[in-house]
Amino acid sequence: MSENARLKFYCDEHRCISCDGCSVACAEAHELPAGINRRKVITMNEGIIGLEYSLSIACMHCTDAPCEQVCPTDCFYIREDGIVLHDKEKCIGCAYCLYACPFGAPQFPSDGAFGIKGVMDKCTMCAGGPEETNSHKERELYGQNRIAEGKVPVCAAMCSTKALLVGDSAEISDIYRERVLSVGHGVKTQPYGWSTAYGSKI
Amino acid sequence: MANTWGYGAMTNSLGDIQNSKAIIIFGANPAVNHPVGFQHFLKAKERNNAKIIVIDPVFTKTAAKADHYCRIRPGTDIPFMYGMLHLIFKNNWQDDKFINDRVYGMEDIMEEAKKWNPKKVEDVTGVPADQLIQITKLYAQSNPGTLIWAMGLTQHTVGSSNTRLAPILQLSLGNMGVEGGGTNILRGHDNVQGATDMCCLSHTLPGYYGLSSGSWKYFAKSWGVDYNWLATKRFKNEEWMGKKGFTLSRWWAGVLDGKDGNDQIHNAGTNLKNLFVMGNGITSIAQQAKVKEGLDNLDMIVLCDPFVNEAAILTDKQDDVFILPAATQFETSGTVVATNRSAQWRTKVVEPMYESKTDHDIMFELAKRLGFYDEYTAGMKIKENKKDFTWPEDASDEIARIIKTIGLTGWTAKRLKKHTENWHMFDQISGRGYGEMKGEYYGLPWPVWTETHGGSPLLYNINRSVKDGGMGFRNRFGLEHDGQDLLSGKGSAPKDSANKDGYPEITAKNIEKVLGIKLTADEKKRIGKNWKVDTSNIIAEKCMERGMAPYGNAKARAKVWTFPDQIPMHREPLHSPRQDLVKKYPSYQDKSNHYRVDTKYISKQNEQDWSKDFPINLVTGRLVNMNGAGMENRASKYLAALSPEMFCSIHPDLAGKHGIRDGSMMWIHSPEGTKIKVKANYSHSVSEDRIFIPFHFAGHFQGEDLSHKYPKGTKPYAVGESANTVTNYGYDIITQIPETKGGLCRIEYA
Repeated sequence: MSENARLKFYCDEHRCISCDGCSVACAEAHELPAGINRRKVITMNEGIIGLEYSLSIACMHCTDAPCEQVCPTDCFYIREDGIVLHDKEKCIGCAYCLYACPFGAPQFPSDGAFGIKGVMDKCTMCAGGPEETNSHKERELYGQNRIAEGKVPVCAAMCSTKALLVGDSAEISDIYRERVLSVGHGVKTQPYGWSTAYGSKI
Repeated sequence: MANTWGYGAMTNSLGDIQNSKAIIIFGANPAVNHPVGFQHFLKAKERNNAKIIVIDPVFTKTAAKADHYCRIRPGTDIPFMYGMLHLIFKNNWQDDKFINDRVYGMEDIMEEAKKWNPKKVEDVTGVPADQLIQITKLYAQSNPGTLIWAMGLTQHTVGSSNTRLAPILQLSLGNMGVEGGGTNILRGHDNVQGATDMCCLSHTLPGYYGLSSGSWKYFAKSWGVDYNWLATKRFKNEEWMGKKGFTLSRWWAGVLDGKDGNDQIHNAGTNLKNLFVMGNGITSIAQQAKVKEGLDNLDMIVLCDPFVNEAAILTDKQDDVFILPAATQFETSGTVVATNRSAQWRTKVVEPMYESKTDHDIMFELAKRLGFYDEYTAGMKIKENKKDFTWPEDASDEIARIIKTIGLTGWTAKRLKKHTENWHMFDQISGRGYGEMKGEYYGLPWPVWTETHGGSPLLYNINRSVKDGGMGFRNRFGLEHDGQDLLSGKGSAPKDSANKDGYPEITAKNIEKVLGIKLTADEKKRIGKNWKVDTSNIIAEKCMERGMAPYGNAKARAKVWTFPDQIPMHREPLHSPRQDLVKKYPSYQDKSNHYRVDTKYISKQNEQDWSKDFPINLVTGRLVNMNGAGMENRASKYLAALSPEMFCSIHPDLAGKHGIRDGSMMWIHSPEGTKIKVKANYSHSVSEDRIFIPFHFAGHFQGEDLSHKYPKGTKPYAVGESANTVTNYGYDIITQIPETKGGLCRIEYA
């Protein structure tokens, strides 16, 4: 990852098959209470021939994050790598961020493991929160911190068709460019001899 | 499949689908049932411009990614495929050389195909003639094309005809034995191929050896047990040893013994008294009301599962129901076989938790109590004449030692472990190994003829040498039929073959002549009777040297002369919405003693005009978050949350006619007099003449909530009606697989 990396999600609608592998992996990894959807797969025009498509949506970790701008207690902070996080101990659960968010990312648990009733919860890109990295408290409040361990966020790791990509925005665009350029150029496999490459015509 | 060209298994692999130019999918929904495998379909589309064509009664998630979707009426795949063949032959798109050299009996198919012009196909299948023409042209002209299917093609009274006509379609286009072609049948879950290979079936010994006394004797010897002991102590007598048993779909008939109008059985004058279930969710069996009746009438039920098997909930039986906690796959080790015939070694992650025991420990304990533990485990000690055995290595080696038919000789525990440990050293698409693994394919897809053979990733490929996984079709059906040669044509042997033409399967008698070799006196002494029972493996070794396949090189056959329909013929489902077509395309004559059960076909079909009272087609299927009976998935909080309730996908116009609102409850009634109460879910994925229900639910029965019967703390997060409570009577003429993909029903507001 470069020093100037900005971590982003990208979901390829040509590949997403709405298997919900991402959302279940997320819920399982962070042990989310029922009803909290840090990530959700949305299917549009379900069952309509030629029009059905699906996308996986979570916090998009905006560079100019509207949630951060409107928060009355200023609980949000944006890491150098672009991950948007918040401090649950400052959050008052007013849901003002939900008004501001273009993606419906902020979630509001009614009870359970995530502490104080009503405090906002959202996708952390598997980067935990302001508590000490990999501490018990961080895990309790924000779930796993996979980024600190050098791991890909669990949703993208689990994605069955690799529709959901995450990482340095430059790397993501490289992967996507390669997909676009490989169109119609046959499969990527190791060469195994001239006869296979040119058939019997050689 | 096996009756067409020798083996009933996926011919290519998931990765190889990336090499396809066209992918036609009949009655399969890989985007839901094989989400990870589906990436290969998407990559074929992305990188190869492959066109995806989906033929399904329901607009599935797979269809959402397709270039063409045909909404076919359930149970009319044969007319559809004949419609394609009609156009292929009419326009001369077929591969004449391939057909001439490698297929027997295609003329009869051509005759039948003539009858199925696009207009007629439209009338029967509901697929517009224009669309049939468009997709046939696309498919026939995009080479190579692969054909995919799953339960949507097999679960019909004509399932065994469906699974013959699909290969015939591929044969007509020369799509077999090539990269990007083949018939890629998707196995429903983990290790189904392995379970089939090892014969969790009632009509054959492991490795598809059949039940003849010769096969039994081969196994008795290989297991190190006395044949007479098997014949007299383990069976009523030798005669019963050779008879097919009951099937999974009809075991309950074996309990009910023809009482109260149930189907008569042929079971040596007695009925079934005990049921022992290991890892089979009972809710996935058709006709749940009959299943319940069967359970209630048993003397004893034993259920071994990591979760509570719903059979325990369904039955009213109070005593002698035993629930044994079985360990999961993470608590044991050994091989599993993937859909492409390749094996993978799994290692244990944790010791079995709490009181749970692994499946093999449960079976060993049972064998001890029943007094045949020594015989049961003898086969694992033979190879090295050991006092004791090591599980599971010695079991894998025993399999490798005995199973020649599908070429498992090379599947030693040592080799398979090495593959799994080095899985990064194999190409993801072709499966070819590099570095140290060069010359081998990942997981050694069978047949693996010898202990050094590298596996056969692509069945029936004559462009590769036998040593490199090449082969022709298997010589399985004799040398000639009706005076015609069944061996393959001149020059159609696999690459580098010493014999360039067709040749028969290799036996001790013909080996010198067919291979053109001389055996030494010692070899003559050690060689087995034929390649299937040659434990010396001389036949296979000699064949490798000569570049020839031990099973011969023959033609595939389009005609199966031992089946009631020699070539696949359209027959309407037993419960058809088209009464006019039932008269024209009636079902089979009733079949007596079909896997020990008298089975109704024509008499059931003609019992009444079912379409009058039950006008709606009923289609069952899966959800992405569930698997099979859904036992472990419904017990997972997060998976259950995605579909917490049993539902029915229904078109708003159909629902509107019955006053059913989105989200309201509705009844579904079956012709068998059973019913289920489920939640209506408006969906355009189904048309107005059919509904779709998932089959993963259990815990409710005909409107009654039985979930209070779950032992404390074991109730799953999601419970609901079993779809199979309303699946109809109807079983395949050859295999007894239930007709769950083409029944009828009636609906009403609840």
